[in-house]
Amino acid sequence: MLKQRRSLAVARDTVAALAVLGLVAVAAPARAADEAAAEAPAVALTAADLKGISTPSADDLAKGDPGGTLTGTAADIVMADPKAGLTIADIANQVGQNRIAVNFVWTLVAGFLVMFMQAGFALVETGLCRAKNANHTMMMNFMVYGFGLFAYWVMGFAIQQGGSAGISNLGGMNPLNNEFKLPLFGKDWGLFGTKGFFLSGDTYDVGVMVLFLFQMVFMDTATTIVTGAAAERWKFAAFAMSTFFLGAITYPLFGNWAWGGGWLSQLGANFKLGHGYCDFAGSGVVHSVGGLTALGVAMIIGPRIGKFNRDGSPNAIPGHDITMVLLGCFILAFGWFGFNPGSTLGASGNGSLRIGSIAVNTMLAGCTGSFGAILYMWIRFGKPDASMSGNGLLAGLVAITAPSGFVNSVGSVIIGFSAGVLVCLSVEFLERVMKVDDPVGATSVHGTCGLWGVLCVGLFADGTSNYGGSWNGVDGSVTGLFYGDPGQFVAQLIGVCTLAGVIFTLSYVLNALVDFFVGQRVTADAELEGLDLPEMGALGYPEFQLVTPGRSVEIGG
Amino acid sequence: MKGVGLILVMGGWVIAVGGLVASEAMIVRLGAGLAGLATSFAGIYTLNGAHLENALWKSRGH
Repeated sequence: MLKQRRSLAVARDTVAALAVLGLVAVAAPARAADEAAAEAPAVALTAADLKGISTPSADDLAKGDPGGTLTGTAADIVMADPKAGLTIADIANQVGQNRIAVNFVWTLVAGFLVMFMQAGFALVETGLCRAKNANHTMMMNFMVYGFGLFAYWVMGFAIQQGGSAGISNLGGMNPLNNEFKLPLFGKDWGLFGTKGFFLSGDTYDVGVMVLFLFQMVFMDTATTIVTGAAAERWKFAAFAMSTFFLGAITYPLFGNWAWGGGWLSQLGANFKLGHGYCDFAGSGVVHSVGGLTALGVAMIIGPRIGKFNRDGSPNAIPGHDITMVLLGCFILAFGWFGFNPGSTLGASGNGSLRIGSIAVNTMLAGCTGSFGAILYMWIRFGKPDASMSGNGLLAGLVAITAPSGFVNSVGSVIIGFSAGVLVCLSVEFLERVMKVDDPVGATSVHGTCGLWGVLCVGLFADGTSNYGGSWNGVDGSVTGLFYGDPGQFVAQLIGVCTLAGVIFTLSYVLNALVDFFVGQRVTADAELEGLDLPEMGALGYPEFQLVTPGRSVEIGG
Repeated sequence: MKGVGLILVMGGWVIAVGGLVASEAMIVRLGAGLAGLATSFAGIYTLNGAHLENALWKSRGH
């Protein structure tokens, strides 16, 4: 037994040494390594090398392996030519493929978690609306997945990622190699990608598919934010068109500028502003874009009937199911572990092991966000408000999304807590000062706290992250103002100005066009009755007697 | 007023990026960025005010 253990230990050491040798010999980006290894003459292991490698016998394996010590040995390495035996090239190829495989699986699973956030959004928004609109609100959250996905597949992904070749964690993304750039002031300003429409042609590639899935669910998160702000009065056809525009044009444009190699990401390389605009997981790209679009739609569509009195004072319109709301918040917090740690696009190589730190930052900011909000509401109104506690949790998560990969745990606590307070202030400002009716607080949670999160990168990034030695083409680590780099804060500020100036305007104009051609708002009668029957043809709760101001609807009985 | 609001919103971005192109001094770029953001927010406020001019709740208090 002892002899067998020694033999296995020697085998492990030998394999590890050979793997290192193989990697050194073929050191290069992952895909280049595979190609080089494939082209290089296969070096057969010597008899001395092979002597040290022992594999468990069939008899040993037949007895089972409860300790896991016999499973996964040199015998499991795929050989290019079994007759020639195991070669260094075999081992090097296996190591390279394993790294990419780990990263594929990590990114896909993270994407699945983010996809599940749609369920959380659906519960939060439906719970915060009245029962008479339950079917309509739930259906908007359900169909935003399909409408958004279709738009993103047709053109959104190509615009956003069509020029983003070089993502080595996923194998290089070499087919995505064409970015449209405008030469201005002696610099190239990347505006949009041009490869990947319909995921066709060269982009029929395993790595591109992984990236598409991950980016698509992010886009869908942005589109579902808007449905909350316009809930209880949004015409379903207008919602469908608005979602298509957001998924096909608005979101991908900013996504390209930030993540696809566009001009914002190059502010560091072109204008010496830190590492350019940095948005690790999307406080700006996802949440601010969704939140600002929500604001534009809410302004166009106007407040719900009964929200404001003639003197402008607001009336509270409570949601119908707070348990649904808080369950949705929990689901969202769970999904956020795909959102932020998944944005490394890998768990192996290029500093991806920071995923643990990113997950903890995410957890801390969410918790302190709910703490900040509950504290504010308790002090101001005398009661710990449940729905604002939920919004506080989401606010903290939104705000940490951009900085999660660059800050330490103390920074994340400060960011989360401040966002929790900020969301309460923003909700009050929008309602009391701007007279904007946002039934679920989407603009405050995602817009306000998203912008705050973007700025927080420029303040709290501690300069310890190292994702392959550079970020956005600038060597070194992302470092914020409090750790010595004011340029990073200015880069983030330019990003916020772009969101507020360009993205808001684009969203507003596109939704104004929808309003002009099909109308954004349902009729007053439909709104008073509840949108379930007029818009969807079926009640969310058919056995309930729904009582609305001035009328009642009884179905089923 | 909606047009004015939209011009201000976009103008804020022009100010911020203009500062970026016009000077390499960090303080100038920071100032332009802050001024641009304030301008964009003022534009959003103006745009919203235009929407509120004909708000139904003002006349009918619905």
